[in-house]
Amino acid sequence: MSLSFLSPSRCAPGTLASPLTRTLDTVSDTAPWSEAGLRAEGVRHRLRDLSSDGKVEVRGDLDLVEPADGEELIRLSPRRGLLLVDDDPAEAADRLRTYGVRAYDATGALAGLAFEGEQLARRLTDLDLERLPAAGAFARIGAILVRDEGDRFRAYFPQELGHYVAEVVLDAIDGLDNR
Amino acid sequence: MSFYLPCPYCGPRPVDEYAYFGEVTHRPGPSPSMRELTDYVYFRDNVAGVQREWWQHRLGCGEWFLADRDTRTNEVLDVLLPSPERVREERLGSPPVGAEPMASEVT
Amino acid sequence: MRLPAQTGERIDRSTELSFRLGPWDVSGYAGDTIGSALFAGGRRVFSRSFKYHRPRGLLCCAGHCPNCLMTVDGVPNVRVCVEPLREGAVVEPQNVLGKLDFDLLRVVDKVGGPFTPVGFYYRTMIRPRRMWPLYEKFLRNVAGLGKLDEHAGHTRRYDVEHKKARVLVVGGGRAGRAAALEAASQGPGVVLVDESDRLLRSELAGVEVLAPARALGIWEGNLVPVDCGTVLYRFRAERVVVATGTIEQPLVFPGNDLVGTMFPRAVRRLIRDFSLQPGQRAVVLATDERGLEAADDLGEAGVAVERVVDLRESPLRRIEAQARAGRVRGVLLDDDVVECDLLVASGGRQPAYSLLAQAGGLVEFDPDLGVLVPTEHPPGVEAVGSVTGEGLEKVDPLPSYHGRGKCFVCVCEDVTTKDVKRAITEGFDSIELAKRYTTVTMGPCQGKLCQLPSVRLYAQERRVYETDIGSTTARPPWAPVELGLLAGRHLEPTRRTSLHFRHEETGARMMWAGPWRRPYAYSDYPEQEVRAVHESLGVIDVSTLGKLLVEGPEAAALLERLYPNRFGDMKPGRIRYGVLTTDGGRIMDDGTVARLSDDLYYVTTTSTGSDAVTAWFEWWNAVWGYDADIVNVTGALAALNLAGPRAREALERLTEDDVSAEALKYLDAREVEVVGVPCLTLRIGFVGELGYELHFPSPAGEHVWDRLVAEGAVPFGLEPQRVLRLEKGHVIVGQDTDSESNLLSAGMSWLPKLDKDDFVGKSAVELFAEREERELLVGFRMEENVVPPEGAQVVIEGYPAGRVTSARRSDEVGAIIGLAWVPSDRAEDGTRFEIRVERQLRGARVTHGAFFDPAGERMRS
Repeated sequence: MSLSFLSPSRCAPGTLASPLTRTLDTVSDTAPWSEAGLRAEGVRHRLRDLSSDGKVEVRGDLDLVEPADGEELIRLSPRRGLLLVDDDPAEAADRLRTYGVRAYDATGALAGLAFEGEQLARRLTDLDLERLPAAGAFARIGAILVRDEGDRFRAYFPQELGHYVAEVVLDAIDGLDNR
Repeated sequence: MSFYLPCPYCGPRPVDEYAYFGEVTHRPGPSPSMRELTDYVYFRDNVAGVQREWWQHRLGCGEWFLADRDTRTNEVLDVLLPSPERVREERLGSPPVGAEPMASEVT
Repeated sequence: MRLPAQTGERIDRSTELSFRLGPWDVSGYAGDTIGSALFAGGRRVFSRSFKYHRPRGLLCCAGHCPNCLMTVDGVPNVRVCVEPLREGAVVEPQNVLGKLDFDLLRVVDKVGGPFTPVGFYYRTMIRPRRMWPLYEKFLRNVAGLGKLDEHAGHTRRYDVEHKKARVLVVGGGRAGRAAALEAASQGPGVVLVDESDRLLRSELAGVEVLAPARALGIWEGNLVPVDCGTVLYRFRAERVVVATGTIEQPLVFPGNDLVGTMFPRAVRRLIRDFSLQPGQRAVVLATDERGLEAADDLGEAGVAVERVVDLRESPLRRIEAQARAGRVRGVLLDDDVVECDLLVASGGRQPAYSLLAQAGGLVEFDPDLGVLVPTEHPPGVEAVGSVTGEGLEKVDPLPSYHGRGKCFVCVCEDVTTKDVKRAITEGFDSIELAKRYTTVTMGPCQGKLCQLPSVRLYAQERRVYETDIGSTTARPPWAPVELGLLAGRHLEPTRRTSLHFRHEETGARMMWAGPWRRPYAYSDYPEQEVRAVHESLGVIDVSTLGKLLVEGPEAAALLERLYPNRFGDMKPGRIRYGVLTTDGGRIMDDGTVARLSDDLYYVTTTSTGSDAVTAWFEWWNAVWGYDADIVNVTGALAALNLAGPRAREALERLTEDDVSAEALKYLDAREVEVVGVPCLTLRIGFVGELGYELHFPSPAGEHVWDRLVAEGAVPFGLEPQRVLRLEKGHVIVGQDTDSESNLLSAGMSWLPKLDKDDFVGKSAVELFAEREERELLVGFRMEENVVPPEGAQVVIEGYPAGRVTSARRSDEVGAIIGLAWVPSDRAEDGTRFEIRVERQLRGARVTHGAFFDPAGERMRS
C-alpha cells in the first residue's frame, strides 16, 4: 500500500485549506481604510502563510540525501531532517527513498509561517537567532525556525497548533506595534 | 530549573526543551521473581550526586540520550548516546511512563 | 517650596506637571518623582504603618523602604520616592482608614502596644475557631499593603522578550559603569541594567543600557529576568557582574521611624536632585562619611544644623527621638534635648548582596567592617565595587539604644526590638526561625533595611558574635515586581483539528480532551446523535487519535516486542486491536495496528496518548536498535469515523473504488479514494455499528466532512460516542483503567501471548497469572433509574468495595449501564451489588459481555 494518503498533493484540486487561514483572516477582515485596517495591512505584509509549501520528513543517513535545485535540507540530527521542496513533495519523497533513506510527505503535518523582525522573533523564542536553522521551543511549542536574509524568519510547527501559533504571533505583533 | 543541558546533536539548550525520564533502571532477565520485578519497576536510588538518566530532546531534534548529571548542582558531566551495546552491557530498562516534557514552563 | 535653581538639579522648572493625590490637585516639575513633588507641596506623612498605623514619611528616598508605598494609577505598592512624575497620574494613599494625617486606626498605636506583640492574633484570635474568619476579614482590612483593583488586571499589557548578553552588568554606579566599559572594550554583547533613569548613556559607548530597569534574580544557567515596566527581558548571560552597591541602614533607637527621620543620602537627594529643604532645624547622627556629607549639604541648603554627632568619635549612651503628632520635634542625646524637625541618622551601609546570595553565593558577617559581605560567588557571576565591601569603613554603632517609645528593627512589618527580644526568650534562637515568627525581613523591603539590624540585635541579646548568627536565606525577586509581568501573555498551546471551525459553525459545544478541543455534542440532546448512529448514519471527528507509522524490515519484530499480542503473523491489509503495557504489567494505552505492507505498520493510539506512545516506541527502539523508524503522523492526517447501518451505502456513493462487504471486510485496511481524497480506510467498530475510519491529509478535512454530511451523516460528539462504546462494553484506557490496572484485571487475559520470547510487561503478566486479582473490571446494569457519577462507590455488605468508572443512560439497551471495579469474588454474571449515589444505595447487577449486539453482528455486517 502506498503512502499517498499522507500527501495533500494527491488530493483533487479545490479540496485543501490551510490551518492558518481563519486566524490570519481576522486581521484582513478589518476595513482597509480604517486605522486598524492600515495596521492590518502592515501586519499582513510581514506575515506569509507557508503551510501549503512542500515538506518531507527524512529518516536515515542524511549524508545520502542529495537536495535538488530549490530544495533545502534542514538537519535536526544525523538521522532526522526536514526537506523543503518547491515541486511535488510526494514525488520528492519517492525520489529520496531511492537514495536509501525513509521519507514521508510532511506537507499536511506542518504549518508554516514567515515573519519579519528580530525583536518579534525574540518575543517568541530563546533560540540563538544567529544559529539557525534549529528546532526548539517557539511560542511554548516545538518548532523548526529558519532565518532568511536580514530579519526574515520562517517557522514550521505542527498544523494542529497552527491556529494557536498564528494567534500568538499576531498578539506579539500587537505588543510591539502598540507600545 | 533553568540550567542548560547539552543535547548530543543540538548543543546546549535550556532544560525546558527536554523531557526527563528519570534515572536509568536495569531490566531483569527472563522470569524474574516478584521482588526483582518490583525492584526494577518501582524502586529508584534517588541519589544526591551524579546519576545516569534518560532525556529526550522533545522540542528539538527529538532524539533520546543519556546524561550524567549531579542532582545537587544540575551540572551535567557527560552526555551519551544509547547504543545497543551500552544498553546490553548496562541492561538498561524502561523509563517511567507518561513523563511529560517540561515545555509547559517555556516562556 | 524649592531652593533657588542650582546646577545639577534634575527638575525642569519650565515644565509643570499636574496630578492628583486623593481628592487634591497637586503639581510638580518634569524630572520630579511623585515623592519629591508631594514633598515640595508640603506633604510630610506619606503612609501609615503596617500594624500600628503610625504616620511615616520619606526615609530612604531610594526605593528601599516601605514608607512611601502608594497606589498609582491603580497599581498598588508603588514606591513614589523613585516613581517618575507623569502628567495626570492618580495617586492614592494606602492602608489608611480616613486620611493620611488623621487615620482612625492610629488608636492601635496608643492602646494596641501591649496587645499586639508578635504572634498575637495567632494565639489570641484563634479561639473560638468559628470566629476566625470574622477576625481575619477585619485584620485583612486594617493591616496589609494596598488593595488590588480586581477589574484593572487586563488594562495593562505585559510582554516577555528573550535576550542574550556576553556580559550583563547589574548596577550603574561607578564600579558598574567601569566594568561595563571594560567589557565593551573587549567586544559587543555588553548590557548594563540600572534602577534609576538618570544614567548618562553617552558615557557608555558600546554598552546597551536598560534603565530604569531591575534585575530580579540570578537563576541557574545565568538566567536573569530584568523588569522594564511592561516588558520582562529574560537574559541569558555568559557572565553576570553584580555592582549593586550598598544600602543605608537604619540606626535603631526609640522613635527611629518618626516622620522627619531620614537617611543621609535621602537628604542629599532631596537637596541636590530636587532642590528641596528636607527640614528647618536638623540634627545629624553620623556613623560614616555620608552622615558628615549630609550635614554639609544641609548647611548649604540653608537648614539650621543644630547638632552634628560623629558616633565614631563621640559615642552616645542614649538616643531617643521625641514626637509631636508622629513627627520629630526633638531628640534626646544622652541627657540633652535638642529641638529639631529633621533627624538624620544611619547605621552605616550594608552591601546589597542579595542577588549574589540568591545565585548560590556565600554571605558572611565581616567583623572588620561590621556588616555582611559576599565571600564566594557562583560560577559565571562576579561582583565589583562596594557590594563586595570594598571601600567601606568599619561601622560599629550600638545595636539598639534603649529608652521610652517604640524602637523599630523592621519598619515594613512594624517589628520592634521588644518583639525580637520576646521571640528570643520564647526560644526562637535561630534567626531563620525568628524570621518566621516575628516576620522581620519578610516585608516589602525583603531585608534590605532590617537584615543587618536584626543580626546585630540578635548578637547583642544572645551575647554572641554576629558571625555566629548567620543571615536569613535571600530569595528572588530582589526588587518588587508586578505579578502581571511575571505572568506575561496568556499562552496556552491548544490543539485543534482541521475541522475545529466547522464544529463551531455547526453549533458544537466544545470541550477539553487533554490538549485538544473536541465537540461534546452538537445539540443539547446527545441521545439523538446516538440514535442516528444506530438507525442510519453518523460521523465523528477522530483526528485527535494518535497515528504512527512504523516502517522498516524489523518493524514487525519491534511491534512484537512492544505489544503483548502478536503482529508478525498479520497479513498486509489487516487490522488488530493492541494494548500497550509497561514492564510493570500496567495498561498504558490502546489502539489499532494495521499492517499496510510487510515493512509498514500504521498504529493508532488514544487521543491523549500520542506523544507518550511515540516517545515510548522511540525509547525502546533506541534501546533495542531495530531497523525501523517511528514517525508520528498525528497532525498530518485528519480522521473521520463514518458509522451506522447506512455507512457502506453512503461510502459507495462517494468513491469509485470497491468498498463492498466482500472487498472491504471487518478489520480490513485499504486505500480508498473518497471524494477526490486518498483515504486510508480502516473498517473497525468502536461504536458498535458498521463503521469506516477514513484517515487522509488534514488540509482536506473540511472538504471530506462536508461531503459526508451532505450525504446524510449526522455529526456526533464525544458524549454520544461514549454512550455508544459503553453499550459495547468497550474500555477507554485512562477512563476505565488507571495506573494500577493490568490486562488480567481489566478482562483482557485473552490478549497476551506468553509463548513470545519477550514483550514489555511479559514477566509481570506471568507473575500476575499465578495469583488472583483483587478486583476486576465488569459491566453493570442499574436496577433503578439513576445514573451514578464517575467515581461513585461500589458498596458490598455496607462496606466500600470498588468504584464506578463510567455510567450512562442507554435508550438502545433501555437501562442505565456502566463499568465498575468490583472485588473478584463478586464479578460473576448477575451478581448484585450496590452503588452509593448521593448518600443513597442503589442496586446494580454485574453483566458480562456487551450490552448491545453481543455477537457483534452489526459491526461485522
